[in-house]
Amino acid sequence: MSNAPHILVIDDEPQIQRAIRTILTEKGFKVTTASRGEEGLALAAANEPDIIILDLGLPDMGGVEVCTRLREWTQCPVIILSVRDSERDKVAALDAGADDYLTKPFGIEELLARVRVSMRHSTRSQSTQSKIIKAGTLTIDLAWHIVKRGDEEIKLTGTEYKLLSYLAGNHGRVLTHQSILINVWGPADANHTEYLRVYMRQLRKKLEADPERPQYILTEPGIGYRFISDE
Amino acid sequence: MNPTTMRSTSFISHLWQYLFALGMIASITAVFLTLRDILGITVIALLYLLPLGIITAFWGLGPGITSAFLSFLTLNYFFIKPYYTLAAHRPTDVVILAIFLVVAVVISQLVGRMQAGLAAATAREREATQLYELSTILTGLHDDRAIVQVLAKQVQIVSQGEYVELSITGIQAFVFHLPDIDRPARSPELTVPIQAARGILGEIRLWKINSAIPSEEKRLLQTFASQGALALERAWLVQAESRARVLEESDRLKSVILSSVSHELRTPLSTIKAAASSLRSNDVNWDSAARPELIAAIDDEADHLNMLVGNLLDMSRIESGVLKPKREWNILPEIVGSVLARMKHLAEAHRIEVDVPESLPLMPVDYVQMEQVFTNLVSNSVKYAPEKSVIRVRAFVEGDLIHVIVSNQGPQVPQEHLERIFDKFFRITAADQVTGTGLGLSICRGIIEAHGGRIWAENVPDGLAFNFTLPLIWEGVSPPNLPMDTETE
Repeated sequence: MSNAPHILVIDDEPQIQRAIRTILTEKGFKVTTASRGEEGLALAAANEPDIIILDLGLPDMGGVEVCTRLREWTQCPVIILSVRDSERDKVAALDAGADDYLTKPFGIEELLARVRVSMRHSTRSQSTQSKIIKAGTLTIDLAWHIVKRGDEEIKLTGTEYKLLSYLAGNHGRVLTHQSILINVWGPADANHTEYLRVYMRQLRKKLEADPERPQYILTEPGIGYRFISDE
Repeated sequence: MNPTTMRSTSFISHLWQYLFALGMIASITAVFLTLRDILGITVIALLYLLPLGIITAFWGLGPGITSAFLSFLTLNYFFIKPYYTLAAHRPTDVVILAIFLVVAVVISQLVGRMQAGLAAATAREREATQLYELSTILTGLHDDRAIVQVLAKQVQIVSQGEYVELSITGIQAFVFHLPDIDRPARSPELTVPIQAARGILGEIRLWKINSAIPSEEKRLLQTFASQGALALERAWLVQAESRARVLEESDRLKSVILSSVSHELRTPLSTIKAAASSLRSNDVNWDSAARPELIAAIDDEADHLNMLVGNLLDMSRIESGVLKPKREWNILPEIVGSVLARMKHLAEAHRIEVDVPESLPLMPVDYVQMEQVFTNLVSNSVKYAPEKSVIRVRAFVEGDLIHVIVSNQGPQVPQEHLERIFDKFFRITAADQVTGTGLGLSICRGIIEAHGGRIWAENVPDGLAFNFTLPLIWEGVSPPNLPMDTETE
């Protein structure tokens, strides 16, 4: 089990620690737990875990601060745990470098799915990035700027393509409104969520079979969007 | 005004009364002198009693007695022989003089006392009337400021003072004065404490130029002050009582909420507990069909519990006023679409018709909160409307508002309850017939109102319609029209 992926759980609630530890150990992960921010930061530095699961409501420091301090030296994926209705905190933590989030209470499939996506990202960042993304019948060739549904090429405007390529390039990860706006439109338009809404709707109409029930570009209410690929 | 001048004023007015009395006796003596031989001493002595009565009645006891002695002397000097002396030789004359003196003094005394009594009675009646008026007005008042205003006004009427100031001390300290001018620089001529059983509530200060404040007036003002004190105490007691009643009412409401909440929370908890414990006890075989069902029940009820707690949190946030929408320009059809997509399995038994055109302008709303409004309105319709009936979601522009209607073919709501269904925990049906917290609609109202909108329900021919309007203008800005790029790659 020495090669088992190592997960650091930073959460002050013993019940949550217990549940996550039991389930993840069962799934073959090595689990370390910390109940305070400082302790978590120290363990992260000492053990260099593969993934960090971080609760936003720690007694000694804010989750955003933990993210910021982790990001000073490591690109280790960080998954945030937080209660509903704290979208602002989640967005702040995501913008501070966290990779994904889970809302308490969460199902275990959700947790495992997030862990898998994060693992993939952490390994992929070492290897070369895939240039062709497949999602259902969609094929997105990031090198040649070609989007196809089946064999049929889909015509996208410049902005639509930029938007799609940013989402698909980060498939599986949640992207905040702000990070999408900054990367697609530029820092000056970071607050123009309406651009995003309007273009996203157009993009969905071109890509999705039913734009009201999107399969590829999911809305994360109050947070941002997530592109789901086959991978 | 100093005491010496005060005394001299009253001395001068008294002097005038004596001079008038003197003048009257003198002129009557002059008239009688011409009739001295015709009338005779007895008639003249009787006639002298007439002016005596008048003098006493008008100017009081002092001038009366003085005039009595004066008339005795003039009678003796001018009308009793020998004339122009103060001697009387005939015994009858001596008797007449003696009787005259006694009668004159007695009449003066009697009339004078009666007069004084009458004046006192009139004064007392006036005081009583004023006091009655004051207490009548004060009885109807429950507001301390109004009481103080009335008191100040009455003090001013009674005292004819130049300036009246009422200062109330204590927790709700304030000062009221009449008329609305600057307070005189000197200190007040009279200060009356407003004394109540529990202590001094404040004081009445009176400024009054150029005249003394008689003791009766002081006494009256003191009575006013104690009437005011009573009224103030009563007003404060009434306020305290109504505060107590509000507290009691909110206490009662809290226990209603608590019992409703614990009922709602316990239901899913019981299911979870029952399912989990039977799985744990090995009563259920590993391959039994009941197993996945029990597990699904735990999962579903945990979600339900989570929703309940979420609703309670939202409600408390709405009530404490911290529910601030994070407004952004959003696309209404997108919100409606995503809500209906998510609710698809819940609304399977109903037909949902959507008329939310793409051409609607962008709306300045909080995406998550708006989703919640639609979720709650649609799920309310699903809950009450019969299966296979139609639930309609419509939206259209109405001036600078967006008007949204979510209507169903469910039971109508009695007119008197249309407003109340948005109150928390208000239910028309009994709580155990329908699941939910009784919070859905009140959360909708909280969210819509936080967006500056209005929400209401109305009965329509085939059911019930929830309506809400939201402003399209946000911080003075109309919905933006985005320049779209059309060239393709």
